[in-house]
Amino acid sequence: MGDQLVDTERPIAADTKPWRDPNATPFVRIKNVTKKFGDVIAVNNVSLDIFKGELFCLLGGSGSGKSTLLRMLAGFEELTSGTIEIDGQDMADVPPYRRPVNMMFQSYALFPHMNVAANIAYGLKRDGIGRDEIDDRVQELLHLVKLSGYEKRKPHQLSGGQRQRIALVRALARRPKLLLLDEPLGALDKKLREETQFELVKIQETLGVTFIVVTHDQEEAMSLATRIGVMDEGNIEQIGEPRDIYEFPNSRSVANFIGSANMFEGQVIEDEHDHLRIRSNEIGGDIYVGHGVACAPGQTLWFALRPEKIQLQRGKPDQDANFARGTVDDVIYLGDVSTFRITLESGKTILVTKPNVARSDEDNISWDETVYAVWGNEAGAVLTS
Amino acid sequence: MITAAPMTRTPRRPWQFMVGLLARFGLSGRTLVIAAPTLWLLVFFVIPFAVVCKIALSEAVLARPPYLPLLEWTDDGRMILTLNFSNFQFLAQDTLYIAAYLNSLKIAFFSTVFALIIAYPMAYFIARSAENTRNILLMLVILPFWTSFLLRVYAWIGFLKGNGVINNFLMSTGIISDPLPMLHTEFAVYLGIVYTYLPFMILPLYANLAKLDIAMLEAAADLGARPMTTFFTVTLPLSIPGIVAGSMLVFIPAVGEFVIPALLGGPDTLMIGRVLWDEFFSNRDWPVASAVAIAMLFVVVLPIMLLRNAQSASEAM
Repeated sequence: MGDQLVDTERPIAADTKPWRDPNATPFVRIKNVTKKFGDVIAVNNVSLDIFKGELFCLLGGSGSGKSTLLRMLAGFEELTSGTIEIDGQDMADVPPYRRPVNMMFQSYALFPHMNVAANIAYGLKRDGIGRDEIDDRVQELLHLVKLSGYEKRKPHQLSGGQRQRIALVRALARRPKLLLLDEPLGALDKKLREETQFELVKIQETLGVTFIVVTHDQEEAMSLATRIGVMDEGNIEQIGEPRDIYEFPNSRSVANFIGSANMFEGQVIEDEHDHLRIRSNEIGGDIYVGHGVACAPGQTLWFALRPEKIQLQRGKPDQDANFARGTVDDVIYLGDVSTFRITLESGKTILVTKPNVARSDEDNISWDETVYAVWGNEAGAVLTS
Repeated sequence: MITAAPMTRTPRRPWQFMVGLLARFGLSGRTLVIAAPTLWLLVFFVIPFAVVCKIALSEAVLARPPYLPLLEWTDDGRMILTLNFSNFQFLAQDTLYIAAYLNSLKIAFFSTVFALIIAYPMAYFIARSAENTRNILLMLVILPFWTSFLLRVYAWIGFLKGNGVINNFLMSTGIISDPLPMLHTEFAVYLGIVYTYLPFMILPLYANLAKLDIAMLEAAADLGARPMTTFFTVTLPLSIPGIVAGSMLVFIPAVGEFVIPALLGGPDTLMIGRVLWDEFFSNRDWPVASAVAIAMLFVVVLPIMLLRNAQSASEAM
């Protein structure tokens, strides 16, 4: 690794969580940003703070406004309203070529008429850096992504993975304070993507640059990010660490978008400070939650239950809530886990996953068996919207 | 089942009997398709060119046709082939022809440069405009072709002449007191060529610039390049194929242009097309005229071949 590239003034931020510190100053401050294309609202009043050294993922489906937000940070789109501050400086009148920001494009946008070295050196030349220093830095960056010796290749002579890495170091060459990555792994195949994910995190930690990554792939977001912002229809639905987003989604759309969730609708019948009881026709019984939730008796609530948080058993459990009876419709063997599709007596279909601990299981639950799906008091998330 | 399928499947191709018929004469459809343009080029290009070569190597006489045959039977049964290279020597010796060639190249070159300078911003603008306006703008570029080329050049006479539109306007507003001499000058020839051939420059440039990925320009801006720098380091180099194609389409016909210098040019505007015309119709010296035509072909074709070689070499790099 090139020593010069490592920011030695500041400890590596991998284990620190500045967003939990209310007094920390954010590095990127997005305040009430709205972007309209004609009548279409692409980004709707988004406010977001991102801290130095973070690897922040904007996660959302296509048309969720995540790329538009990224392009506004880079300066390619003007804001309809709101402000963006980077390192304390308002970016309103700063053109793209003067921002302390670099972007890695989804299509990589490597210049086809320049070789690898010229592509990487492009930004350095614009900064008026001497030829010798440019050569040194190009070597250093190529070394960083293990592509030394590829200087003279043209982009069309590289593989997809190599192009991706050249695009990454071209964006890193000017040592930006903030690197924006638009679907950085989107064009790679699954195997290469998994390898590259770890490399990306390693490079980010080594250099200490703040990364903002846009992706539609929740697995990618989970494995890369320090924090995730889930976007839907121009709104930020939830911001949190990967575990928070997965285990404590704050809405049905987040719960459904991240991983898979069984969603049950029900009404509050018992509302105490230490527990909550929801009657659900879909389950054909009650849901008992081991903590209080701010709600009113009779209110309709949703209960999101992850497939891996449910156990299956043949006998009726010895409890008055948190189970449902159904018939196994389908068993899908996936190697590491098996997924069971179970139709409850209400007609609702749920998914249950079970790790395949043993190599062979003669007594496994199979098609058409009547089973009980059982879960714990804290297994699912209660959602009010 | 799968292996048997191609055998049992009977393709419904009504032309199948033709294929069988052709095969009987040892021909395939492919050969026919290639033969059609080959035949066309043979009849309308290669044979006429051979005739021109033949005339260029013969001697001029006052007769009909106005040249001597290459092959002659003598009374004692011998055949004599006479190749007369004096016409080419004459071209090299008479400064008129060399001056005409050089002037043609000069006028064609600068016309191409002017056309490029005018066409590039237009093509760029069209390529960057919204989808529906883009089609209208392209239409406007092509629209002049609906009027005869000759009429459009004649129309310029009306504009440029002593009591033409421009001079009348300038004199009526009092900017000038005497009409500007514009018609029958080299300026008028440049104007005519650039005006006539501009669409041929715009269209290939447009086709090239329209497919330029906007992400390239954004990447350049993102890496700190101002708009001007982006243009010279990214847009311009990537549009070179369009520039080359457009320049060829303007340069090649401009070298041999006859109508525009004849109508708009003055007596001192020497262009090879006019020399050729005079040689054929005024002097009736067909052999020299043919030699002029062949020499012109080489003057134009050689640089193009060199350029193409250089291009394919740079692409292979």
